Amino acid sequence: MNEHAEIRELLSLAAAGALRREEEERVARHIHECAECTAEFENWQSLAAGLRRLPTPQPPAGLVERTRARTAWQLAAEGEQRWNHGVLIFLVLFGWTLTLASWPVVRLVSGGLLGWLDPGFEHTWIGLVGYTALVWVTGGVAAAMLALRRRRERRLA
Amino acid sequence: MMLEAAMSWEGPVGLEAEVAQLRRGDLDALAALLARYQNRLYRYLLRLVRQPATAEDLFQQTWLRVAERIRRYDPRRNFEAWLFAVARNLAIDHLRKIQPESLDEPSDQGIPRFEPVSAAPPVLDGIVVQERNSRLGAALGELPVIYRDVLTLRFEEEMKLEEIAEVLGTPLSTVKTRLRRSLEGLRRTLETRYPGEDWLGGMERTIR
Repeated sequence: MNEHAEIRELLSLAAAGALRREEEERVARHIHECAECTAEFENWQSLAAGLRRLPTPQPPAGLVERTRARTAWQLAAEGEQRWNHGVLIFLVLFGWTLTLASWPVVRLVSGGLLGWLDPGFEHTWIGLVGYTALVWVTGGVAAAMLALRRRRERRLA
Repeated sequence: MMLEAAMSWEGPVGLEAEVAQLRRGDLDALAALLARYQNRLYRYLLRLVRQPATAEDLFQQTWLRVAERIRRYDPRRNFEAWLFAVARNLAIDHLRKIQPESLDEPSDQGIPRFEPVSAAPPVLDGIVVQERNSRLGAALGELPVIYRDVLTLRFEEEMKLEEIAEVLGTPLSTVKTRLRRSLEGLRRTLETRYPGEDWLGGMERTIR
């Protein structure tokens, strides 16, 4: 391919401003001397200018506000979800810590002064499982009730 | 001079601040970003899908997706390219569902051809401009979506080639190839539709 043909291939990209600096300089040098390529380049430029001047369609009235409202709702819902996850993680850690920390106290108290309250406590592991289950079931029921209440409130809002 | 410098700095700094605020869930930042991109994003989606109702739906979906993913967005990336990539992916998914064959890269012969039509010479400048826009818009709309995509990003959104590559998820060389083919396709469409006349309606020039 000779220089003229090579430059012609580059003219559309030159009008689009998509050439590297050295290519641009090469095109500029050539079209300075070649009337045919100058006219061709002007055609590409006019096409590019036409594309740049195309009117911008406006979004319909209300679209932006509807989008803002929906997106804001989603952002709020996701923020609440993150908060709930954080609270859940805290509750799990707190629950386990409380369970493990309080058990020796309960054992000590029930095995000593209040031992008569629960004669079955000599089986430590049964007591531990029962106690843990009671704590978690209570916590789970409370969390479920809270979630239902929040969902109902959101639906009414 | 100083005002110009301040204005040129306001763009990216203001944008970065808004994006950072949106990442923290700030609703004012959401409103500011919506206002900043409403026209451009809607235009881009409309160019891709061509149906106003679909473009509206995709516009909403885009912002919902932004809200969903903004916390995972890497602030070192170009937000604009990321936003347009989100919109583009949604539009392409939509188009893939309704017309899967239209998304393939066409061969040079794949650009639609038209029967020539005659057009009366425009009289008034306003009509000339309208006519030119109408011709160009119609020809642009008839191009395959991957060509409309690159043309609108380059000429209407005025994105750099690197930004276009980021939106499309393709190498720079592919962007250049698509850009060249899309311009050639557009010109061929106009020349075929308006043979022997000024296909931009009013420009004092003809194709050699």
